[in-house]
Amino acid sequence: MKKQTEKWSINYLAKRIAYDRPLLLVTLILIISIFMTIKHPEAFPHWDNFAAVLLDTAQAGILTVGMMILLVGGVFDLSIGSTLAFAGIVAGVVVKDAGAPPLIAFLAGMLTGLIVGVINGLIITRFRINALITTLAMQGILRGVTQIVSPAGVANLPHGFKPFGQTMFLGLQSPFWIMIIIALAGWFAMSRMRFFRQFYYIGSNSKAAALSGIKVERLTLVGFALMGLLAGLAGTLLASRLSNAVVLAGSGVELRTITAAILGGASLSGGVGTIPGAFLGVLFMSLIQNMLIITRVPVFWQSIVVGIILLVAIGIDQLGRSRR
Amino acid sequence: MSERIEQIRHVPQPLGAVMPRLSVQHVTKIFPGVVALDDVSFEVLPGEIHAMVGENGAGKSTLMHIIAGVHSPDRGEMTLDGLPYLPEDEKAAQKAGIAMVFQEGSLFPPLSIAENIFAGRQPVKPGGRIDFSTMRTQSRELLRDLGVDLNPSTPVADLSPSQRQLVEIAKALSQKVRLLILDEPTSSLTISEARHLFDVLRHLAERGVAIIYVSHRLAEVFEIAHRVTVLKDGKVTGVRQIGMTTPDELISLEVGRELSFDPDTARAPANAPLILEVENLVAPPVKHASLKVRAGEIVCLAGLVGAGRTELCEAIFGVRQRTTGKVCIEGVEIFPKHAMEAMQAGIGMVPEDRREAGLFLAMSIAANVTVGNLEKVSKGAVIINKEVERLAKDSVERLKIVTPGIDREVMFLSGGNQQKVLLARWLARKPKLLIVDEPTRGVDVGAKADLYAILRNLAKEGVALLVVSSDLPEVLALAHRIVVMSEGVTVGELDARQADEITILQMATPKSNSFEQNQAARA
Repeated sequence: MKKQTEKWSINYLAKRIAYDRPLLLVTLILIISIFMTIKHPEAFPHWDNFAAVLLDTAQAGILTVGMMILLVGGVFDLSIGSTLAFAGIVAGVVVKDAGAPPLIAFLAGMLTGLIVGVINGLIITRFRINALITTLAMQGILRGVTQIVSPAGVANLPHGFKPFGQTMFLGLQSPFWIMIIIALAGWFAMSRMRFFRQFYYIGSNSKAAALSGIKVERLTLVGFALMGLLAGLAGTLLASRLSNAVVLAGSGVELRTITAAILGGASLSGGVGTIPGAFLGVLFMSLIQNMLIITRVPVFWQSIVVGIILLVAIGIDQLGRSRR
Repeated sequence: MSERIEQIRHVPQPLGAVMPRLSVQHVTKIFPGVVALDDVSFEVLPGEIHAMVGENGAGKSTLMHIIAGVHSPDRGEMTLDGLPYLPEDEKAAQKAGIAMVFQEGSLFPPLSIAENIFAGRQPVKPGGRIDFSTMRTQSRELLRDLGVDLNPSTPVADLSPSQRQLVEIAKALSQKVRLLILDEPTSSLTISEARHLFDVLRHLAERGVAIIYVSHRLAEVFEIAHRVTVLKDGKVTGVRQIGMTTPDELISLEVGRELSFDPDTARAPANAPLILEVENLVAPPVKHASLKVRAGEIVCLAGLVGAGRTELCEAIFGVRQRTTGKVCIEGVEIFPKHAMEAMQAGIGMVPEDRREAGLFLAMSIAANVTVGNLEKVSKGAVIINKEVERLAKDSVERLKIVTPGIDREVMFLSGGNQQKVLLARWLARKPKLLIVDEPTRGVDVGAKADLYAILRNLAKEGVALLVVSSDLPEVLALAHRIVVMSEGVTVGELDARQADEITILQMATPKSNSFEQNQAARA
């Protein structure tokens, strides 16, 4: 009986929330929603606004699944923004300038992302250049390549290319649903599948992982390939949704994605993090963005806020670790 | 506040003629879930070398950390030369003249020896420029006092582990020390280096420095200490004058019972099937190795540090590639390029450094046992959580792992229990050959007996065991057969029943004019 009362004391709840990252995020999301409903009843609690928030989670959500897998394995990818833009442009060029069928263009966009991811992975595992440097270099290289391929982007994409990113289902556009499917698959994979479970071991202690029979390099390569594929998908979906392949698409998306994953429980030193956590991190970030827009905070403040959230999230992570 | 005033009033008067350099009175320290120190009192006199012994987890490190200002006690008080002493942090302890040489390196590898010795308090010339030449000269003198001739400009990264240890000590000595704390200082030193360190410590003690010497090695304690305090489960179980006690008495104070390891009398039959055959294997630094292990046999690889024993194991396990020679499992030659391939051939390996290369410290016991057995607990590509749980629970039960549950992160386990977790991982695979590199390093005496029993049982079940150990009494207690390595070569073989420490050492000592001998001659 005594335990029961202890379990429901305020103190106990506060402690649980502080240490359980997903629970903390859910609590924060609820607090923000209630606050915004009271403060801005005219703008916040409406379906259109929710739909906007959810659609905003689509791109970051798709990317964060890949980023979470990499972070669990102890690495990360800074090139996803450029990969996304490059994939969108490739899809646009294929469908408009080359006149290929929309499905081929869509697959070409995804393939582009996959190839970039494989190149990243090969450089990191074969030449043992660290992930930070490799993907930072790739970020710069791809921005340049994109501008060479198509200096002004590809506007007014053909009608047949639109369904991928603009089909409505239950009041929300397809990118949201694609993100949900990827997140669910990622959740299952990371929590239950033998292959993906190995990332936790690699991130926790890669030397011990290798000596326990885990093929560390192969998994790292797969992780980057998957990240590239997801970035390619996100870029192609964005081009389809906007009917427009934009050269500067996805700039700063790596900041937002890594922040969401860290908020969701990932650690820069690897070995921890879950896909539901990552999803909640993304939702939280979108809600913050929505709040800033509704309260008419100037645009440049938004990236300042994202940067501060990243610092706070990493700070909490460090605090939690030193307490152990 | 009032409590502190009261503590000050109760400063005890020393009983003898000499006032203790440091006196610790009724110190208690509680960490979440564990009482690390329970009403510990202890004192060290000026000029005394006071040894501190106890099993892992007995509270030695916690006590040293409290003295060095890393932790603060929950209860109790300390005096330094009769004055109340309660350091706020490590800096305050250093200012009070307490220097601690840490077990694990606190050095900056890319920086020079001199910069390491004077880290944070470099001598400066007017204008704030660092006075490198003074720093180098003083460093050279300090090192010479320690009997080593090293260039102070050498980066620490280029030093051997034992040289680094000496730099750590030089760093501690570079400050005005009243009390010097050494935690397992000889664990990476050669015998001659250790001897030299003892001379230095004796010399310091003669000059009136008080020294606390934390060590596992009782032989050293008897060689150097004046008195010894034994800790067990956070309590002091005895203070003895060296010369009025015996190693056996200290061990029984450490573990609360007498322990002895009788050599194993069971032997695998001579016609038991051959599991491992290594023939003329070359895998630098292994120059030439041949050995055989039969089913049910425990073969120990003995030799000095650096003889290539670990590297030979790595070559068998596929994580180091052999240039020539043969490795056969049950008569079939194998060419593993990765640990996974060796595992598929029926080999398991518990590495030497379990924290670095064996365990996933932040992960649960269940996760640590499961890795390497993921296929076993899965249906197709999907992991079945019930199977994971069953495997982990079986392991905990079978190897008597002491833990509140299978979800406990292994970093919270004692060294012995960590080693059992590692063994459990391999046992679940039912290997034909299990390689165990230093099975009981950093493990307390009680857990040692458990680990020996586990290994012997495995042999009885027909597993071939290849054990690397630098602990000769362990080799003699555990092995059926002993293979001695020296400078990358398997130089000979002994039946454990006829072997003794002297014979093994004679075989293991390099005959050629080697690097190690040069080192020894210089020291």
